[in-house]
Amino acid sequence: MRSDRRPAAADAPLMDRLAEKALRALAGRASRRGVIARIGAGIVAAPALPLLPAARAHGPSAQPTAAKKTTNEGARTPFAAQAQVSDDTKCDYWRYCAIDGNLCSTCGGGVHTCPPGTAPSPTSWIGTCFNPHDRRSYIVAYRDCCGQDACNQVSCLNTDGDQPSYRPQANNDIIWCFGTTSLVYNCSTAAIVGSAS
Amino acid sequence: MIAARNSKDAPISLVGRHDLRQKGKMFHRRNSRTMRDRRRDVPRKAASALFFRLLAPRLVFATCLGAALLSSTTHARAEEPVLQTEQSDIAKLPPAGPHRILVMDADYPHAKDGRVYVVDTDAGKLLGMVQAAYNGNMVQAPDGRFFSVAETVWSRGNRGDRADLLATYDPSTLTISNDEVLPGRALVTPKANDLAISADGGRIYVYDMIPSNAVHVVSTATHMIETNVDIPGCALIYPWGPAGFSSLCADGGLSNVSLSAGGAPKVTHTPSFFAPDRDPVFENSPSVATDGSALFIAYSGLVYPAKLGANSTIGTPFSIQEAAGMKRASDASAPFETTWRPGGWQLAAYHKATGRLYVLMHKGTFWTHKEPGTEVWEIDVAARKLVRRISLPAPSAMIGVTQDASPLLFTTNDTGDFFILDAATGKLRRKMDRLGTSLVFTLAPGQ
Repeated sequence: MRSDRRPAAADAPLMDRLAEKALRALAGRASRRGVIARIGAGIVAAPALPLLPAARAHGPSAQPTAAKKTTNEGARTPFAAQAQVSDDTKCDYWRYCAIDGNLCSTCGGGVHTCPPGTAPSPTSWIGTCFNPHDRRSYIVAYRDCCGQDACNQVSCLNTDGDQPSYRPQANNDIIWCFGTTSLVYNCSTAAIVGSAS
Repeated sequence: MIAARNSKDAPISLVGRHDLRQKGKMFHRRNSRTMRDRRRDVPRKAASALFFRLLAPRLVFATCLGAALLSSTTHARAEEPVLQTEQSDIAKLPPAGPHRILVMDADYPHAKDGRVYVVDTDAGKLLGMVQAAYNGNMVQAPDGRFFSVAETVWSRGNRGDRADLLATYDPSTLTISNDEVLPGRALVTPKANDLAISADGGRIYVYDMIPSNAVHVVSTATHMIETNVDIPGCALIYPWGPAGFSSLCADGGLSNVSLSAGGAPKVTHTPSFFAPDRDPVFENSPSVATDGSALFIAYSGLVYPAKLGANSTIGTPFSIQEAAGMKRASDASAPFETTWRPGGWQLAAYHKATGRLYVLMHKGTFWTHKEPGTEVWEIDVAARKLVRRISLPAPSAMIGVTQDASPLLFTTNDTGDFFILDAATGKLRRKMDRLGTSLVFTLAPGQ
């Protein structure tokens, strides 16, 4: 606002009037010393505050973020770079690098266990997943559990190494319920079947 | 009785409530009144006196007049004839225009409840639907005479005898004109190329995986299986002409099947033209049955133009990113490179008359090939140039286009809304809220 203008003029633009009102209200409440004290406190506290997402990614409660993608040393894919090893009910669990579907671990089963009332298929598609804990890669068989309708608790679509159905062994779109009595899909497990390192 | 009860009860209850309300108001006002409010009380009192002296009698008169008019209207209505009884009937659809399409809803959370919607995309209106149970798929006759839906059911819901079916529908009544039992069909999250129809509509091709990869050829005239063609190491159907199709193979080549009436199918193979481990081509790449043209799009964004036939040929590939003036995107050998990449489920659509390819694009690393697109890139295939980038109202895993001179584009989102855009301007024309659950692809006349 220009200084030669009458500040409280009724004909001033709306934004000018609002800004002036806000500034006057602030001036009425805050002392100059108080403002200086707050700025000083901010300068002192700055090193302790996370200024970049990279700083947060090292924290124990960090969520998977773009910055965390570089944290898993030795990872060879974007999924592996941000995978975690502690919670097999989340889509970013390391073994789920190529899983597509409902996690059996949230449907009454486990990471390699079918829920009661379903049957595991003897066939599967295969992924190669990197374990950030021991920095080894493992061959993972994604075996579907079949016989009941889709469980729909936690559904994931991870596509590391996922190939189209002309490469069926690496395709996660096929209903891998071959060999079961009913091909109705319930959920998917992720069993380690070998070391790929 | 009613009048008596009213006259007896009303004063007690109404007065009581009125008092409470007034108390509440007074309490609030007493605490919130300012000096300015009190100064305003004087003119308020004057206005109140004016109201009672002049306006109140007129208001009473107007109310009485209104009541009299209402009474006469009611009397007039009583003289109108009562509504006639009705017969229940069934709607019949007029012949389809270029913007009446089929939409496949895979209904991922309850795949047994899959369905096909018939949609008027000019009006944004659902015209009807048919069942497409458990990873169903659909094709339609080139001349629009019928459409067919492949589906799978079990005799006892989730168990019992399995039946793979090919139901053929009359497009005006949506009634089944033929309901055929198939030898089998591949159960895969619906991909457009699991089921196909020949250029003349005479044959429907059904992809199967049990006991080995094969295609069942169904005659649409006799509704009989004409032949079963083994395609070992290959999958899917890209039809060309009235009697042939190609399939994508695990070695990165094509298998080409020529059919002949009564004779054994002839099969040829093309040399490998892409590297499935490093940069596979999308199964949902578009192709045109009438002239055998196909555009195989790789995960990285390379487009391989192909001419499908008894001996398919592959042209020099071009990069979608380079067509847009950008650097060519990396393949699986450099998976961390973040750039614009093609992705989604039905990630591309092709407008035959103009040679425009519409591709869903998103920003991501390699191996994000199923991520929904935030933009549609319109490519002039002949010129290998980007024409336009269309920002989508919501990220979409599906794109479709009509084949007429004023084409419409179709996209969806993760909650089953259906978006209709003008392909000429890229502007949103209509949004159909919650048309379905998992809209996976569309089928327009002449597609």
